[in-house]
Amino acid sequence: MNVRRIAAVATKEWKETVRDRLFLLMAFLLPPIWMVVFGYGLVLDVEHVPFAVLDRDQSSLSRDYLYRFIESRYFDYRGSVSDEREIDRLLGDTAIRMAIIVPDRFEEQLVAGRPVTVQTLLDGTFPLYADTTKGYVIAVNNSFTQELLSDFLTRTRGLVPEEARRLVEPVSLQTRYLYNEEVRNTWSMVPALIMFSLMVASPLLTALGVVREKETGSIYNIYSATVSKVEFLVGKLVPYFVISTINVVVLWMIAVWLFGVPFKGSFAVFFSASLLFVLCTTGIGLIISLLVKTQMAALIITIIIAMVPTILFSGLLVPVSSLSPGAQIQAHLFPAMYYTDVVRGSFLKGLDLKDMWTDLLALAGFAVAFRVIAYSLFTKRPKA
Amino acid sequence: MKTEPAHQHPALKPLHFDTVVNVSDFVKRYKKEVAVNGVDLEIRKGEIYGLIGPDGAGKSSLMKAIAGVLTYDGGAVEVFGTRVDSERAAERIKPKIGFLPQGLGLNLYPELSIEENIDFFAHLRLVPDKDVGERKARLLAMTRLDRFRDRPMKNLSGGMKQKLGLICTLIHEPELAILDEPTTGVDPVSRRDFWSILAELLEENGMTALVSTAYMDEAERFHRLSFLSGGKVLVSGTPTEVRALVPGSIVTFEATPQLEAIDRLKASFRQVESLGPLLHVFVDSIDRSEATSQIEAALGDLTHSSFRVDEPELEDVFVALLLLKTDQKEAFSSVSASAVGHDRDGFAIEAQGLIRDFGSFRAVDRVSFQVKQGEIFGLLGANGAGKTTVIKMLNGILLPTGGTGLVAGAEMRTASGTIKQRIGYMSQAFSLYLDLTVEENIRLFAGIYGLDKRSMINRYQWIVTMAGLSGYESSLTSRLPMGVRQRLALGCALVHSPRVLFLDEPTSGVDPIGRRHFWDILSRLAREEGVAMLVTTHYMSEAEHCDNLALMYAGRIVAEGSPADMKRHIEQEAGLLFEVITDQPSQALVRLQQAGFHGAALFGTRLHVFCRDPLRDKACACQALEDSGVRVISVNERPLSLEDVFVYRVMALERIEMSAKQEAAA
Repeated sequence: MNVRRIAAVATKEWKETVRDRLFLLMAFLLPPIWMVVFGYGLVLDVEHVPFAVLDRDQSSLSRDYLYRFIESRYFDYRGSVSDEREIDRLLGDTAIRMAIIVPDRFEEQLVAGRPVTVQTLLDGTFPLYADTTKGYVIAVNNSFTQELLSDFLTRTRGLVPEEARRLVEPVSLQTRYLYNEEVRNTWSMVPALIMFSLMVASPLLTALGVVREKETGSIYNIYSATVSKVEFLVGKLVPYFVISTINVVVLWMIAVWLFGVPFKGSFAVFFSASLLFVLCTTGIGLIISLLVKTQMAALIITIIIAMVPTILFSGLLVPVSSLSPGAQIQAHLFPAMYYTDVVRGSFLKGLDLKDMWTDLLALAGFAVAFRVIAYSLFTKRPKA
Repeated sequence: MKTEPAHQHPALKPLHFDTVVNVSDFVKRYKKEVAVNGVDLEIRKGEIYGLIGPDGAGKSSLMKAIAGVLTYDGGAVEVFGTRVDSERAAERIKPKIGFLPQGLGLNLYPELSIEENIDFFAHLRLVPDKDVGERKARLLAMTRLDRFRDRPMKNLSGGMKQKLGLICTLIHEPELAILDEPTTGVDPVSRRDFWSILAELLEENGMTALVSTAYMDEAERFHRLSFLSGGKVLVSGTPTEVRALVPGSIVTFEATPQLEAIDRLKASFRQVESLGPLLHVFVDSIDRSEATSQIEAALGDLTHSSFRVDEPELEDVFVALLLLKTDQKEAFSSVSASAVGHDRDGFAIEAQGLIRDFGSFRAVDRVSFQVKQGEIFGLLGANGAGKTTVIKMLNGILLPTGGTGLVAGAEMRTASGTIKQRIGYMSQAFSLYLDLTVEENIRLFAGIYGLDKRSMINRYQWIVTMAGLSGYESSLTSRLPMGVRQRLALGCALVHSPRVLFLDEPTSGVDPIGRRHFWDILSRLAREEGVAMLVTTHYMSEAEHCDNLALMYAGRIVAEGSPADMKRHIEQEAGLLFEVITDQPSQALVRLQQAGFHGAALFGTRLHVFCRDPLRDKACACQALEDSGVRVISVNERPLSLEDVFVYRVMALERIEMSAKQEAAA
């Protein structure tokens, strides 16, 4: 190992990256942009479900029933219709995603103590969305039914309303959300997006940086020189490591100041995990760059390799614990999952090193493994 | 590595005492394709060894293997006594080697300045700081790049990139410099500059160099050389030894009618070329009068004049050897005259003061020329001289900033649609569909130009005969040899019987026989069909085929006329060209330059000198040499090449510019 040679490679790489405007934009602008765009855009809450009603009863009770939907923040009332065919049309145009049809004699039947059936039509195009909506409808419907029942008991048994309510609902549920007290999607998403931005941007930058040399032929300067493999790999990665580290800090600031996500844990732990993760991601980029020949191939492969497992198996959208057993094994094969744990743990849970050292150890393991693979793939005397 | 033999290769011959590189029975395969098949090579200390050959001959593979940056599949490579058969062994020779990969400036870093590029290479090679400063100063001064130290590499011209590449390769003063096609795509002036710098550096540091080139006319530059073709060495040795293999002479003369003369000559001679009005024939006899009488006998009753007999160029020798080896009959079914004979009257192309600016950069500056129907007009110049921009404007693809142009009777500004119907265009990239067969390609182009069924059948037959494609009709284009592919591209460009044909570097990367065959077709098209042609090329030797030429330099036309006229003008201005052979070439060069022969240049071991007054200057030069103890072996007159013309013109222009600048400064 000769420090002068490493410095020569690193300075050259740094100057090239900083002077090439496209590269510079990619290095420093892309990660924050992703963070902001996805932070605002990738909100998965189901709220304001547009719906319409067909009230065939037109009674005060039916209006009372429907009013509960209309005033809920989960639904967005788009008007009444007089015909079922119109519902079909609205659903077809996606003007609404749900419709409620209150039958004839709704009030009359209920008052007479007979059960009635209200029909709900749901747009099932997005199963998750439809399921959540169904949950809301059931909740609204239940509370209405319970109120009817407790009213009935108050009237018939002469009970005080509180007592009637207790009778109707013998087990009541009290929920307290921990860590993300307001159950805000952004609080959960934004820290994970730090992982996502780093996972895509730094391998891309590294891979393009190396493949660029292969494509032009300047890699032959390295092949034919006395610089050793380790010196080249270290020198080549230093600038990308520095860039990614700067990005870690910038992304952290965006999360805390722009999105207002509370940071409860230790910055030292978060930062060292980030450094380890950056070592992993640049390592991935390096491996890709050693396997392909053109920048185009590097771009496509990096995006596929970095994006797909990151979105599916990192815990970004779905917790790893709720994945299928097979998918869980896959999740453990990518460093993203461990880093997501650390990021969420540091931001939301306020965890410390003693809670997360296994994650850090895993990241360090990946970083080493990727470098060993890269070293064995790189040859200064290739076959073609 | 695994595939390489680990034991002493039996084919290794006893070495010359100062052998630097010894290659024996070298084989390199890419997947199933054999790129180099059994090459032997021996390079001695202090020489410039040349690898010559067309694209795909195996030059790069061989050079990379010697530099230790490519594995190989058979044979042995020994560099400085080290067998290069593993990555570890390759690392051992690398301190002594400087390698410049192919591709002008591609191994340099575009965002870095000249100085930063050099520093990177110096630091990578651990050159001590004080040496870096001193060497940098010396090399930058020598290459005249010192004024541009801080200019980013991406803003350099081709010649400057080439010189910077050389500096970067040599900054650690390697014992062996391996330079892969360093002169491709560079203008002749920069090329000459490059060779003299290289010669000087080698002399100073006692360096050895292995240099490859696709320009046959650069073969004279080497001390020894190997001509590679199809992965094999066709011939090796010093230029003199190579010449001795095919004794003969080149007879140049005029004969009318030319086509009839060619047909008669082809019956008895294998190398017959038409160069504008001249014919150029390789005759097996070294005796001058005998050679002339052989030609006269073959011509019979045809009128002929101005005979000139010269020693063959190395290119002629290579072609002769290739022909012997392949025993390929240069059989040309003569082109059946197509129905469309073009009107010979009037100009096919008329360009008047064409100007084209890109931002503040003037790519083409007041270019005017005319091309008659049936004429082959050559536009010469280095990469970036503005040739392609002129063609694009004339084709109506690019609007000119100023000036006018008439192409095939249509005004290029307003009638680009009409122009496109009347012209054919063949680009350096050969715009063929590689996944289609020869027949499908021709039919496709016929369809694009809207030929009806009947004329398409006629035209198809005509193209197959004209381009010598029979037998290839149903082969995939991607499988065709370069030369055949090139002729197919020509056929496709001619499918709609255009009056004017544009050829943009049509022969890049094609072997010498393929190039000659191609030019044969072109001159027949011009003579028999009256097609006007505008050809661009950076092969100066090819330009001899043109009827008229324009030399472009930095967007301007710096010389115009027929090749013969151009040479005559130079001879009037600068004198005759003499080749001087001495026992100490590099010392002789210095001596001659001191004696006032500024145009003196080194070609391998020979010197080229202009003499205004042949008798007096010759004597004066010989005297100067003998005085300093250099023995003069021979002095002979040499025919001027177009490269000499180009270099002379541009140098004169640069001198004028320089003095104008100095005046402005003062």
